[in-house]
Amino acid sequence: MRYVMRKLLQGLLLVLGVTLVSFALMVWFGPDQTYTLVGKNASAQQIEEVRRELGYHEPFAQRYADYLRELFTLDLGASNSSGERVSSIIGRTLPVTLALVLPGFVLGNLAGIALALAAAHYRGRWPDRLISLLSIAGMSISFLIVIIVFQVLLSTPYGLNLFPVRGWQVTDFTSYLRYVTVPTLALIFVTLGYNTRFYRAVFVEEAGREHIRAARAFGAPPAVILWKHVLKNSMLPILTRVMFSIPMVVVSGSLLIESYFGIPGVGKVTFDAITSGDQPVLKAVVGLTAIAFVFIQVLTDLLYRAVDPRVAR
Amino acid sequence: MDGAPSTLDPAHASNIYASFLVVNLYDTLYRYKYLSRPYELTPNLATSMPQVSEDGLIYTIHLKPGVRFADDPAFSGGKGREVLAADFVYSIKRQFDPATRAQGAWLWQGRIVGLDEWKEDGSDYDKVIPGLRALDDHTVQIQLIAPFPQLTHTLAQASSAVVPREAVDYYGKEFPVHPVGSGPYRLSRFDSAGAVLLRNPQFRQEPFDLAAEGFDPKTQSRYGLQTLQGRVPPFADRIEVEFIAEDAARWNAFIAGETDFVKVPVSQFDQVLASREPPLLRKDLASRFHMAANLESGFVHTDFNMDDPRIGYNPDPAREHRNKALRCAIIKAFDWRQRNEVFYYGIGQVFPGIIPPITPEFDPDQDDSPIRRDVAAARKLLEENGWTAENLPTLEYGFPASVTERQMFEQLRSFLGDIGYPPEKVRPLTFATYGDYARAYLNREVMMATTGWTMDYPDAENTMQLFFGPNASPGSNVANYDNPEFNRLYRATSTMPRTPERTAMFREMNRTVIDDCATISGISRTLILLWRRDFAMLPDRAFVGGYFFRFAGIPTGPEEEPGR
Repeated sequence: MRYVMRKLLQGLLLVLGVTLVSFALMVWFGPDQTYTLVGKNASAQQIEEVRRELGYHEPFAQRYADYLRELFTLDLGASNSSGERVSSIIGRTLPVTLALVLPGFVLGNLAGIALALAAAHYRGRWPDRLISLLSIAGMSISFLIVIIVFQVLLSTPYGLNLFPVRGWQVTDFTSYLRYVTVPTLALIFVTLGYNTRFYRAVFVEEAGREHIRAARAFGAPPAVILWKHVLKNSMLPILTRVMFSIPMVVVSGSLLIESYFGIPGVGKVTFDAITSGDQPVLKAVVGLTAIAFVFIQVLTDLLYRAVDPRVAR
Repeated sequence: MDGAPSTLDPAHASNIYASFLVVNLYDTLYRYKYLSRPYELTPNLATSMPQVSEDGLIYTIHLKPGVRFADDPAFSGGKGREVLAADFVYSIKRQFDPATRAQGAWLWQGRIVGLDEWKEDGSDYDKVIPGLRALDDHTVQIQLIAPFPQLTHTLAQASSAVVPREAVDYYGKEFPVHPVGSGPYRLSRFDSAGAVLLRNPQFRQEPFDLAAEGFDPKTQSRYGLQTLQGRVPPFADRIEVEFIAEDAARWNAFIAGETDFVKVPVSQFDQVLASREPPLLRKDLASRFHMAANLESGFVHTDFNMDDPRIGYNPDPAREHRNKALRCAIIKAFDWRQRNEVFYYGIGQVFPGIIPPITPEFDPDQDDSPIRRDVAAARKLLEENGWTAENLPTLEYGFPASVTERQMFEQLRSFLGDIGYPPEKVRPLTFATYGDYARAYLNREVMMATTGWTMDYPDAENTMQLFFGPNASPGSNVANYDNPEFNRLYRATSTMPRTPERTAMFREMNRTVIDDCATISGISRTLILLWRRDFAMLPDRAFVGGYFFRFAGIPTGPEEEPGR
């Protein structure tokens, strides 16, 4: 318990640091939303009125203190662009994003692990070379191109025309599958290369250790070696990668997918907030992401202990 | 749609995307006839065109009785009440309340007796404004400070749509995403990806009258509109609007049949058009889609910042004279044919000056030498005025970061290279977002700025004000142009109705701007709109805008044979 409390205290300092730096960046380097809100033919007086309405005239310290208060009371205010409450926006968009990216995220990691195990097992031989080659090819192709190609191939009359090009009219599991399949395939395609390369490196390192050689000497079959000895002993880096990817995948990984597939998720909302300078939305996303990181860090540490008892010692 | 509105509050509806939805959710007093070209106003919530006093100062407008707001929890018992004259008065007052952060106030600023003072006195909604009154439940009276012939046009803008005070109070800051109006549709869904509109069952019963909407059988019979005659709009039960900014995704969705109407991305023009002059649809597409090639209601122009002494006005008369020669040389170096070809598929309409072709004041016979490239004349101008590669000022060309904008800059640099402008002296000034760019040029920090103006109404007054001295930045006069003669003529024309005399004065003002070489102007882009043949409608991105949703329907009779 003391360990958790210590981690949470460290996390609090992390949240303060992240919010301070990001808020400073928003205020001093982010877009000034005044000029997108004033409309045509604004007078200097109207510009000043909007600036005051946005709170830009307040001192930085005051604004940052307001930010922390909003974050810790979860009273996140309203979007400067639409007037909608930020809590409503996040409540509306986060479940959509999770439903959108989770299948691709899970399958992308599982497939990456499977391919990486195969590559590690056949290290230096043609399966390893083929997997490495395909991984590099996958990493080299722009996400945007992948999305467009998948759309054209799977969702238009130029291709198979099996799925909707875009949208998110999910009412049941069948409609969910219709809308999530192409984005998921695109996500898997893009992440698979990175995942496979990373996990391969981990497994190759693990496979070269003494206990693996000992297992081989004892005559353990390759499947047992890979599954029981290599994979199990690689769980710490796998956990680290998976856990710390979650906030990034939710916030930034879904941006292009949401834009191109017309899915009303949190990534698109965040991107719009960044480009328009909608500070209430941006502050909430940054702050909540930092808090999520803290909790994930604590959770990851606890999971470390569960999968590797040596950590607890 | 190729963009998304951030709100559905009429007070914020200053862009085309918001207007498209707002005019379907709310009522305006007037609108543009669906089919009439040139555009023509017609009553909407009003019973008739306004009664205007002889001096042009007092407008009396009667509202249709019995029109009701859509049912909403904001109303007592959840039942929408009747739309009253007081609601219109309240809606215009909101534009002048700083708390609203409204974007439409400029349309009426300094025009209506007592309105500006009302704002200065603290925007108290219970205070009566002498020039903006509800004479009774169904009569509005507007008293102007000076004649404003475009007033009725402003009452067809989404900004002037009528909102109920109860809803604004009930939803507070969230009112922009909870629209409560009396328009033909109600909102069912609105988010970053799209909006869904459902037919408003309480919308007034007004049968569709082709003749009253300005139907032209010669040019419009192919669209199946005749089959809608006598039916009561809105014809669609449900309209789904997808916000698809990405060209490829927008086009794929249309071709896959997931959307029924699209503004075709320029990148697809060569796949869609069989010919450019006139724009004709490819045969295989013509069997499935209707097409309209509409000139945009506005234009794109690159202004010199006249407030910058390096290129514009200068306290030293000799330098000012040389600056003018420099600007004129740059304009002569500009190759509009190339610009049109590379970025607008060669089907934009290039014209000299600031009166776009879509306005009745446009002169199709005007001298086009200001838009003809003349490298030799440009070089000569520079030479005669003592400009050399060594003493030419460094040009800073501002633009928001994007591939297309960068390409446009590089093209400009290449044009200028042809007249001896050293490439290193033509510098890009990039901004991360459009907001940053707008801040820079509105604060007069950009030497050359390209902007597009979407007209609010089909009257050249709306573009003339772009070069009126007192409208200088942060107003709409991005060039900070300030010519006393132009200003005098603008003031004189601002109270004049559309007459040949006023048109002549506008054309003179146009020549003044051209002669002063204040702007590289301009081009009106041609928009290619496609829609499924089984829809009877005539979409429009200009002044009719979103109003056409009301009249979009399924034809009930045989269709005309495929055509343009």
